[in-house]
Amino acid sequence: MKYVIIGAGVAGIEAAKTIRQQDASGDIVMISQDTFVHSRCMLHKYISGERDEKGLDFTERDFFDKYRVHWKKSTRVTNVFPDKKEILLDNGQTIAYDKLLLAGGADSFIPPVGQLRQASNVYGLRNLPDAQAIVKEAQWAENVLVIGSGLVGLDAAYGLLERGKKLTVVEMADRILPMQLDARAAMAYQERFEKAGARFVLQRKASQAVCQPDGRIHQVILDDGEAIPCDLIIVAAGVRSSLACLEGSGIACERGVTVDASLKTSAADVYAAGDITALSGIWPNAADQGRIAGKNMCGIAAAYIDTYAMKNTINFFGLVTLCVGRVKEEEGDLVCIREDQNQYKKILLKDGRVEGILFQGNIANAGIWQYLIKNKIDVRGIKKEVFDINYGDFYHVGDRGKYEWVIESL
Amino acid sequence: MNQCYSCTTCKSADKPLQEFIAGLPMETSHHRVESQSTKCAFGLQGVCCRLCANGPCRITPESPRGICGANADTIVVRNLLRAVASGSGCYIHVVENTALNVRNTARTKGQIKGVNTLNRLADLFGIQEEDVHRRAEAVADAVLRDLYLPEYEKMALTEKLAYKPRYDKWKELGLLPGGAKSEVFHGVVKCSTNLNSDPVNMLLDCLKLGISTGIYGLVLTNLLNDVVLGEPQIRFAPVGLRVIDPDYINIMITGHQHSMFTFLQNRLTDEDVKEKARKAGAKGFKLVGCTCVGQDLQLRGAHYTEIFDGHAGNNYTSEAILATGGIDAVISEFNCTLPGIEPICDQLMIRQICIDNVAKKANAQLKEFSFDNRQSVTEEIIDEILDAYKARRGKVSMNLMKDHGNSQTLTGVSETSLKQFLGGTWQPLIDLIVSGDIKGVAGVVGCSNLTAGGHDVLTVDLVKELIARDIIVLTAGCSSGGIENCGLMTKEAAALAGPKLRAVCEKLGIPPVLNFGPCLAIGRLEIVATELAEALHVDLPQLPLVLSAAQWLEEQALADGCYGLALGLPLHLGLPPFVTGSKTAVQVLTQDMKTLTGGQVIINGDAKESADILEQLICEKRQGLHI
Amino acid sequence: MKRIIVEYEKCDGCKNCSAACMQAHRKTAGTIYDLDLTDPENESRNVILKDAKGQYKPLFCRHCDEPECVKSCMSGALYKDPESGHVFYDETRCGSCFMCVMNCPFGVLKPDTVTKTKVIKCDFCVNAGGEPSCVASCPKKAIHVEEVQA
Repeated sequence: MKYVIIGAGVAGIEAAKTIRQQDASGDIVMISQDTFVHSRCMLHKYISGERDEKGLDFTERDFFDKYRVHWKKSTRVTNVFPDKKEILLDNGQTIAYDKLLLAGGADSFIPPVGQLRQASNVYGLRNLPDAQAIVKEAQWAENVLVIGSGLVGLDAAYGLLERGKKLTVVEMADRILPMQLDARAAMAYQERFEKAGARFVLQRKASQAVCQPDGRIHQVILDDGEAIPCDLIIVAAGVRSSLACLEGSGIACERGVTVDASLKTSAADVYAAGDITALSGIWPNAADQGRIAGKNMCGIAAAYIDTYAMKNTINFFGLVTLCVGRVKEEEGDLVCIREDQNQYKKILLKDGRVEGILFQGNIANAGIWQYLIKNKIDVRGIKKEVFDINYGDFYHVGDRGKYEWVIESL
Repeated sequence: MNQCYSCTTCKSADKPLQEFIAGLPMETSHHRVESQSTKCAFGLQGVCCRLCANGPCRITPESPRGICGANADTIVVRNLLRAVASGSGCYIHVVENTALNVRNTARTKGQIKGVNTLNRLADLFGIQEEDVHRRAEAVADAVLRDLYLPEYEKMALTEKLAYKPRYDKWKELGLLPGGAKSEVFHGVVKCSTNLNSDPVNMLLDCLKLGISTGIYGLVLTNLLNDVVLGEPQIRFAPVGLRVIDPDYINIMITGHQHSMFTFLQNRLTDEDVKEKARKAGAKGFKLVGCTCVGQDLQLRGAHYTEIFDGHAGNNYTSEAILATGGIDAVISEFNCTLPGIEPICDQLMIRQICIDNVAKKANAQLKEFSFDNRQSVTEEIIDEILDAYKARRGKVSMNLMKDHGNSQTLTGVSETSLKQFLGGTWQPLIDLIVSGDIKGVAGVVGCSNLTAGGHDVLTVDLVKELIARDIIVLTAGCSSGGIENCGLMTKEAAALAGPKLRAVCEKLGIPPVLNFGPCLAIGRLEIVATELAEALHVDLPQLPLVLSAAQWLEEQALADGCYGLALGLPLHLGLPPFVTGSKTAVQVLTQDMKTLTGGQVIINGDAKESADILEQLICEKRQGLHI
Repeated sequence: MKRIIVEYEKCDGCKNCSAACMQAHRKTAGTIYDLDLTDPENESRNVILKDAKGQYKPLFCRHCDEPECVKSCMSGALYKDPESGHVFYDETRCGSCFMCVMNCPFGVLKPDTVTKTKVIKCDFCVNAGGEPSCVASCPKKAIHVEEVQA
């Protein structure tokens, strides 16, 4: 059996490992544009100088030897031919497969504002080459502009601030990290970033960005007319699944590759996992998808059930935040807040169920909230302040000493 | 399956005893060590506080203060002061009763057996009375007067009894005690809820309590006992379970108040009482020594060889002593009277009688001894014991250990008998120390416990290490009981000493370990030390003298320890006294004490390491004396 | 693999297990006597929870068959050892993202109190011969080690 995996992100790596654990003899080939296997969640630490390329590797030592995966690195797949069960590489080579996994991830989305897409000093921060280029440019850049204050934008900002760069961050919303945080929690980070040398321009967007004869953008004009000089621009405006290699293949795609519950695509023996499916943009889910796709590729039925993706952790400048579920308050919510000099915690309850939590400063033992939120557990029966709810309220030691969740009915 | 109660007994330095206990069909303290071996970390550090209803509180990184705000230092030192006050109270109770017994003996013109000691005390106190009984009464009165003083009046005898440089140092530090009982009261009040939270203030109080404990409890009690019971005389005597002779009606005694037995001791050798015993089928009565009162009996044993055969063992040997079946009754008046003897006494039909209600056991008969009722109480006690003897013999099996212990242990050592032995002066001892034939002196004193390596394990190992380094060991307390049962106080034990000490011992015909008797005799050791220091014109911290309460057990030991520190001596302990949770307490006790009084606490559970440390200190002190 | 089995009805909340865990993982050498109980750098991997009725519920890492923490680790710091079955944490690889804290369904994990750069993770006392200190220190024998089928 020949298994071919496109992509060396966590989805592809987990799939490879899973396949090898199920099938000791099959061939596993992994093709990636990546030259180094790297955790895309740690690029900020590369930019900051805290880690080098090797320090971004999240796999076991000697992964490829241990799991006998033949890795063709620095190679791009240009086409997929599901009828012939072949793929074409950018070096002209054709590789046949019995089972194929599409795990090629996503690319930065540069919005069509001005000439952002054409300029040579505009970067996304999606993969290691992005980070390497940013670090190189940053050496002499005096003015850095970051467009977008989501997780990726702040990752870039953090990394560059650690390098001593002054920078400006432009954000359309009225606060930074608008998808994850409320105004209070966002301000806590904003203050820390500002102290480190960042300037935030909120409720503004870039409207004009013109390339100079040297092919670089030297200033960006915002929608209120403010002109921001910049040598280096990082755009963190989201990603789009890397579907380019699937053109003409007939494989069904929408925002990402369309998959069923076993992560099968519309083409026989072709599966997809990770950001290329656009099912969720977070690491643990991509890892899960990789494992489940891998199992299915080996003929073991497995379903991707726990698709819950509304969960994030944030950690900058020593301030840790955990947000799970819906953090934006709505009509009918019971908003519970617990706040002191060390922490800011918010829990949204509706009809006795936890809709969402935002914990900043102290996230100790907070793993239970994801379970409560995604399983819509009614907590009204627990005679405690909601913040004091812990696993002890659902405690059960089951078979072989495993913990189980026991919900007492109201 | 055999008859053994269980297989989990702790080790003992006394191997035959360990085997004996392991084979017993009943439970003893040695069996219970294992199941209690999981110790609470907070308790060990002393950072658990139960002083109020908001508790118990304990110190953790998330909760570095109790609810009231007390930090680790406050909690630890409060606990320590409480223990030291309690321990001091114990000794003061003993000296009070002893002084009362002396006074009452004097008033009723009873026998004054220790006239020399009486005269010593009278001279010291400045009492001039022709009549010996009036003299004795005056001496006892002087002690009692001091004990009953309020806290704001300093005790008068402290200055007369203390070594002057020490007295001056205590005065300078503000440590001179008021009335001994009032000081205990003061200590107990101070460490109660939300009162004192100053750890150094409380530690100084511990020293003050140590001084009153030491001068009164540890020095005077012995001398007062000598007055009515006779002075110690050096002799060789048997020790261990072998002393139990089943042909006699055997009474095991536990406690610290030898003077309470004066009347009984004599009565048991009266012809009419002996006749009662014979009628019951026994040859007579015997007292079997156990715990410190047993050591006291052994110390003065030369005066009543008829009634006393020997000291069977220390506190944690008491259960084994009873388990032999050869004991017919237990008379208790203080500690250590283990609660664990109750089921054993029940099972073996051993009558328990308690003559001081502070030591009332759950199933003991309380026959409170007071001087006035001593005759009637003694008759009652004798009849009870005869009754027990008749009821139990034949019904209960004997499990004697006739070979346990040894028959030639040196005893009867006191500050006077030893000086006499050396020719009436300390000069021979000083010469030996100066010449280096005796490198130094170590007082291995105090209790026996079961957790520092096992029953007497650290104590005996430490003694062996010390004598191997030519350091002569003086003992007092239950430590003596363990060490002597292991044979280290026989002449043959000299073979275990280093070459120089061995030579000294062989020449003088003494063992390398000299037993001063009960823990009260720590006061006698202090007298010896004082006289040596006087002769050398130095203060006590300069002497090549160290103390070890290696296996200290209870609160009295902590009060003793505070006395040792007040005397400026290095004090070694095998286990920390629940103080390590307080950085301040540890700092003061192990470091700052050196500049305060000259003393220091050394905590080490390893015999060799401890001996190294103590030897090093002795060498430093020798250097200081240029010898 | 070996797992610590909890019998919560026996738990008294004495926290000797937590103290023993701190002692087993302290940075400086020493005994239980001088473990600095006021130093927030000393942290226990276990915690005694209380339910609404005040009943003690001891929380100890299960070293799960399917460990959510390992599955969510983006740096490779957390991994399940194939031989012992225990989940180990390599502090040097950790990227301090705390997704493991987020994903542990029982809330066993937490960031370290002082620096918030690493995770406090039970290692089954692997450096002490694999005999968990907590188990040895429980006076009620509420926790014990059992070999469970992997």
